[in-house]
Amino acid sequence: MWLWNKIKQLTIPSRTGVVTLRYPYKPRPAPAGFRGQPVWDHTKCIGCAGCASNCPARTIFLRDICQEIRILIYDSSRCTYCGRCADLCPEKAITMSENFELATDNRQDITQTIELFMMTCQRCGRCYDLEIKNALDKLQMLGYRYDSLEVRKVIGQSTPEFEPEHLEKTATYRRPEKLEKSSCGKD
Amino acid sequence: MSRKEELLNLLKDKLRGKFLAGSSLEDKRLFIDIKKEALVETASLLMKEGARYQMGVGYEAKKNGQGLAMVHTFAFDADSLLVAIRALTTEDKPEFDSLTPFIPGAGWSEREYIDLLGLHFKNHPNPKRLVLSDDWPEGIYPLRQDVPYDLMPPSAEEVAFRLDEAPPGSSIIPFGPFHACLHEPAHFAVYVDGEEIKGCEYRGFMVHRGIEKLAATELTYNEIPFVAERICGICGSVHSVNYAQAVEAASGLKIPRRAEFIRTIMLEIERLHSHLMWLGVAGHLIGFDTVFMQAWRIREKIMWLAESLTGNRKTYGMVIVGGVRRDIDLTKADLIKKTLSEVEKDMLALEKAIIKDKAIHRRTKGVGYLSREKAVEWNLVGPVARARGLDMDARRDHRYAAYDEVKFDVVVADSGDVWGTLVVRIKEIYEAIKIIHQCLGKLASELQGSPLAIEIEGPVPAGQQGLSVVEAPRGEAVHYVLTGDDNRPERWRVRAPTYPNLQAVPDMLLNNKLADFPIIVGSIDPCISCTDRVAVIDRKTAADRILSRQELEKLSREVRSKT
Ligand code: SF4
Ligand code: SF4
Repeated sequence: MWLWNKIKQLTIPSRTGVVTLRYPYKPRPAPAGFRGQPVWDHTKCIGCAGCASNCPARTIFLRDICQEIRILIYDSSRCTYCGRCADLCPEKAITMSENFELATDNRQDITQTIELFMMTCQRCGRCYDLEIKNALDKLQMLGYRYDSLEVRKVIGQSTPEFEPEHLEKTATYRRPEKLEKSSCGKD
Repeated sequence: MSRKEELLNLLKDKLRGKFLAGSSLEDKRLFIDIKKEALVETASLLMKEGARYQMGVGYEAKKNGQGLAMVHTFAFDADSLLVAIRALTTEDKPEFDSLTPFIPGAGWSEREYIDLLGLHFKNHPNPKRLVLSDDWPEGIYPLRQDVPYDLMPPSAEEVAFRLDEAPPGSSIIPFGPFHACLHEPAHFAVYVDGEEIKGCEYRGFMVHRGIEKLAATELTYNEIPFVAERICGICGSVHSVNYAQAVEAASGLKIPRRAEFIRTIMLEIERLHSHLMWLGVAGHLIGFDTVFMQAWRIREKIMWLAESLTGNRKTYGMVIVGGVRRDIDLTKADLIKKTLSEVEKDMLALEKAIIKDKAIHRRTKGVGYLSREKAVEWNLVGPVARARGLDMDARRDHRYAAYDEVKFDVVVADSGDVWGTLVVRIKEIYEAIKIIHQCLGKLASELQGSPLAIEIEGPVPAGQQGLSVVEAPRGEAVHYVLTGDDNRPERWRVRAPTYPNLQAVPDMLLNNKLADFPIIVGSIDPCISCTDRVAVIDRKTAADRILSRQELEKLSREVRSKT
């Protein structure tokens, strides 16, 4: 009985043959509909911050650095590839690519930055106030505008309430000449 | 009169003035508010009526000026009924009577809230620290609302968990926190007398990630499924479906039937891969690596199937509150059928080749024995309980998703040992395949073209309770949601199947040989990450730093040249 079982066990691998793939020498393409790294199309993005305020990993950051320029940074190091951002983008500016080989020792390799030129409202010069909470702020409560883009950390507080000191902290933050390893990972 | 009304009347009758309110949006749930003096009385009444203890949920209900709350949930499996009793206490006297003296399975649930909320439980036999790390300062209770979710108290050196004294005549062998036979960090101090195990103490909860706190302070309803999915590396869908069901139950949402079928398919695919994975690991733990290799080879097909269906091997991301995100159309259905027939064929061949192998029999029969009575006492769940003759399965007893429309058998064994668990899990593979085929039939015929998710209109009402169970591959997982303001739950509590099962491990180990330790612990398929999900921050994170490649290379070279 015992021997019979061992013979049976031997026949299984001989019948199946080799199943190990020659990866990475032979690339294995991802199947259709794979959720790899999201890729932004800067020509389509309107800077609405929908992706930033709905990203479960809070890894998309937006901030207005002046009246006209809004910066969007996607930091892949914390991304979970859930695809929520691509689902929610009203302009379909985000595609989930098939790119999954993302290991790197430089965070910049997998970061995407978009500088968006925003129009100014012809009537009021600026449609919303930075200090006072308005509808737009409520919509984009988190991961938006009060983030420090360079340190890329969601402001540490347990409530989404806005504190003026936080704004000060991020607004007066001096942007390093070059965004490099030295500015990431520790703070 | 239905069982629910019977229970309600009984409790009203016996408790009289101590009964405050009873409510239930759904017909299979009963939420009861009582005065805290009546906690023990109510729990013992329910236990006498044949209830099975599930879990305790503590939270701070400060917003409504109510102080601290403790919820205990019970299941009546024969009547498909879940009962939750809630009692409140004031903040200046945060004390409840402990249920542990007569329900040992409540031990951890109560210890958890000693740590996290600063509650006291009168008469608790072992009120030791359970969840928080050893150097967490006294007096900071992370689940209290005034403690921010990202609080990082400074770490302290030279504090250690004080293990109990070993029984006289035995010595301690430590397994863990990192040990070759454990796949996740946990610490077992095993007391041995020669080769024989005489007892064991467990210290776990080393991989807290503060998920529940995060959900209550930072995330929103529809972000949580994606975080819930990451509670566990094996049964992601279980947690996201379970959470979504709890929210849907609390807010009275009815999701499309097609979505329920797709959820069922994903849950069963997950069961397939989990059972195959466990089979492989079990083989590996008893030194039978043919099983490991072959089971994992078969499992890989399931992983690829999941990848084509959902876009990822493991984190499926299919579930949102109100439905699912992706459809399973006819081409995908064909792919599933093709893969399943291959898997079934391979599995039969593997089963035939190993099931009579003496090596397996000798290493599993009579090992990790626990009697049926003990299994009931410890509230065991899942294959571990079914291997001990308990005929229970949440898929049949508390029908959710589309399980009311599919036919399957609940596999039960009565050997009460690791062998029983093995048989149950192998047989369940075929049952899962049966279920998926039935679901695919339904999707193709009646449910063509129906929507995948409903639009949620208006905010989810606050202050509602929702309770949901899902039969994970390892056993019943329970989620409790109390809806809150700000588009997020006020409290979300997850109880993974390992939570009750792990508490029974010391009993399973008793009088076994030390060499069988890995397979006994492995037999419950412990998922440490699921069990540990609650509290806050690892004490090491404060000092975390990223090593550059050069540094790593340098380090490894140094080590190499030294040896
Ligand atoms: S894929 Fe998910 S985690 Fe990654 S950026 Fe998009 S929403 Fe965030
Ligand atoms: S949701 Fe789309 S349009 Fe809006 S900011 Fe993100 S990428 Fe741009």
